Amino acid sequence: MVAKFRGPGMYRAALGTALGTALSYAIIGIFRSWYGLDPLFKGYAVLELSLFLAPIGFLIGLGAFDYWFRWAAGRPTIPDDHSSHGAHSWRDYFKVNTDHKVIGIQYVVTSFVFFFIGGLFAMLMRAELAQPGRQFVDPSTFNGLFSVHASLLIFLFIIPVFAGMANYVLPLMIGAPDMAFPRLNALSFWMLPLAGIMMLMSFGAPGGSFASGWTAYAPLSVTAPEGQVFFTIGVQFAGASSIATALNFLVTIITMRAPGMSFFRMPLLVWANFSTSLLVVIATPFIAVSQFMVLFDRALGFNFFNPTGGGDVLMYQHIFWFYSHPAVYIMMLPGFGIISEILAVKSRKPIFGYRMMAFSLLAIVVLGFTVWAHHMFVSGMQDWIRVPMMITTAIIAVPTGIKIFSWLATLWRGVLHLDTPMLFSLGFLTMFTLGGISGVMLAIIPVTIHVSDTYFIVAHIHYVLFGGSLLTIFAGVYYWFPKMTGRMYDERLGKLHFWTTFIFFNATFAPMHVIGIQGMPRRVADYAEQWAGWNMAISIMSFFLGLSALLFAYNMIVSWRGGPRADSNPWNALTLEWLVTSPPPIFNFDAIPTVVGGPYEYGVPGAVHGVLKGAEVPQPAGATASGASHGSATKDQE
Amino acid sequence: MEAAGISAGIALDHHDDGHDDHHHGPPPANRSSRVSHEVLGMLLFIISEIMVFAAFFAAYFFIRLVAEGHRWFPFEGYELPVAIAGVNTAILLSSSLTMHWAQVSIKNGNRFGLKVGMVLTSLLGATFLFIQINEYIHIGFSPQDHAQGTIFYGLTGLHGAHVLVGLSLLIIVTVRAFRGHFSPEHHHGVEIPGIYWHFVDVMWIVVYTAIYII
Repeated sequence: MVAKFRGPGMYRAALGTALGTALSYAIIGIFRSWYGLDPLFKGYAVLELSLFLAPIGFLIGLGAFDYWFRWAAGRPTIPDDHSSHGAHSWRDYFKVNTDHKVIGIQYVVTSFVFFFIGGLFAMLMRAELAQPGRQFVDPSTFNGLFSVHASLLIFLFIIPVFAGMANYVLPLMIGAPDMAFPRLNALSFWMLPLAGIMMLMSFGAPGGSFASGWTAYAPLSVTAPEGQVFFTIGVQFAGASSIATALNFLVTIITMRAPGMSFFRMPLLVWANFSTSLLVVIATPFIAVSQFMVLFDRALGFNFFNPTGGGDVLMYQHIFWFYSHPAVYIMMLPGFGIISEILAVKSRKPIFGYRMMAFSLLAIVVLGFTVWAHHMFVSGMQDWIRVPMMITTAIIAVPTGIKIFSWLATLWRGVLHLDTPMLFSLGFLTMFTLGGISGVMLAIIPVTIHVSDTYFIVAHIHYVLFGGSLLTIFAGVYYWFPKMTGRMYDERLGKLHFWTTFIFFNATFAPMHVIGIQGMPRRVADYAEQWAGWNMAISIMSFFLGLSALLFAYNMIVSWRGGPRADSNPWNALTLEWLVTSPPPIFNFDAIPTVVGGPYEYGVPGAVHGVLKGAEVPQPAGATASGASHGSATKDQE
Repeated sequence: MEAAGISAGIALDHHDDGHDDHHHGPPPANRSSRVSHEVLGMLLFIISEIMVFAAFFAAYFFIRLVAEGHRWFPFEGYELPVAIAGVNTAILLSSSLTMHWAQVSIKNGNRFGLKVGMVLTSLLGATFLFIQINEYIHIGFSPQDHAQGTIFYGLTGLHGAHVLVGLSLLIIVTVRAFRGHFSPEHHHGVEIPGIYWHFVDVMWIVVYTAIYII
């Protein structure tokens, strides 16, 4: 029994959590007795400290820091014998594992757990909104529901699920055996569930969960009940996790590409994650600081946002949106990468305008930092900021437009394979364009003033995050499911999932444009009688939308357990991850492959992207690509 | 051919821990850039750190120039000890020199220079922190008093926290130096905390200028 608590693992993690909490009591007790304060243990003080120390205790107990502790003490480090590579049973997914493929699965599965919890909250909200008046929850619970819904789906689903998929496929795509910092990778995964659990725990706090939306504007967040700090501190862990992962991606992409893979031979998914990681590294510190400032104002009585003390309330919004506008691209660019992969493969054509696709990503990174105040057109900030921000916001639609047209040109006269990943990609193209158009509308100051804080905003954000990001996530999960699990998913169920999602998504969110323009306010549990019909319809459609997600869950679980075996390259794709078996061998490649051509030469006879060691480098003119891999048919179908 | 040019960098070894793992493992990754993982990782981390400071400087900007009734030290008898902080600045900057000396020493195989350099750097860093805390005790206002106090403690405290982190790294390096861990070939463990320490020093110049001088 003692041994269980000594070695790294869940037992020691539980012990670490308990010790972290005890340490919080001790520190607060010592400081309060030092200052002669009464009572010795103030509830909220202990809570706020233990929200930091208990998770850290958990991580130490789990063994995320073991190697570094030995290194720091100057003791001989345990040589990495790679015994933690690969997963042999489900238990291995609950350990600190340094294998990027295991971490990728951990990420994706964890984020989908939070996806279903967040979706459940949406169902509860729609149940409440089905009719005017009060149905199931009281208004403050409703505020908590939409706040936790948004926070979970943004910080615990969309951002990490992209990181998870990239974690799995990106090292394979660039021909690397693992990420640059495998131990940091493991640590950044394990911070994530802690953040999510923290946000969910807030429902148990006195005064209910945090109810200030995912934006947590000051001064509301400074004066809100204690549930707020679960968001304030939870975001720190999610943010630290995402910065560490982004740093890892950048170093991996820059230093570990296979021989021959120049920057302009990288698949666009790699480009997309490169751009996203730049955004994360530069922008995420701002939300961390904004939440620290809220915490200092709350817990220690600082004056950052306190006007009577000389602080500035609007400052919160500036700092918050300086992160959170780039964050919408953090939530979208990896999806662009996924779509670029799938559209090229499934239409059997080279991607149109490869270099412009890459440059437009970088343009979005730069422009993404120049538009933040368009979220603040009605906030009462200085008038002169509004028009420049309107112009930059309109401009940022241009690189996105370049991508849309490049995708359309990729499809043009292609041989379209309309299977599940492709359907989701085409669904993304249409829905994201609609969301983008309402986004350009919102860039126009008078429109924003009219529809600010109405359901038009709700419709817009769901068209870009659900119709945009989520459809790319589904597309990516279906596309790489054979690679990740070694099994094929059920194509019939997948198509059914697509059509139900696509139809009920539109039926749910399209009417919100209408009631939004009519003025129905968002984030309120009740509404005027005139919108009763629309809301009932929306609620019914949203329940069907919820059911369609269960189809996905069923398909994934059943196919993972007993689907037909997948061969190494079921889609006839060229990128490097398809050169190896499904799932890939424990160290990805026996020898690092050599890249000899562009990633999207579909339809070019004999074109090859990369070759494994031992295979001949084919001549570009007319030579066949046979023997390039384990029988994978790199030859094109046309 | 392009591939050949890149693969010339394969031989670079990135294990600096003094232990080797020659058992079965993953194939060595191709090195597509001459910069090492650790140095690049630290530089990117420093970009993140600069943005943390930038967010606090945004708060400084709003409190000093935008907020209603904005003002700055000295006011209503609140003053900042510019001269003492200036001496402290000199102490911190000289620690960058000793750090550099330690780095150069180990590159030349001078272990004694490494040890003395690291001890001196750590002591200078600790002195800086000590004087900073002393300044807090005697300065005569608290972050709760007004937003100017908040941002003063916010920025100098943020920097102090970075000094503390840097100091912990320095102490780790010192311990390992005394255990004989570094050599002219393997000194990433000195170089990378060194980059961080130089960053902390440069950042102090910006903080000092913004808070005390202008």
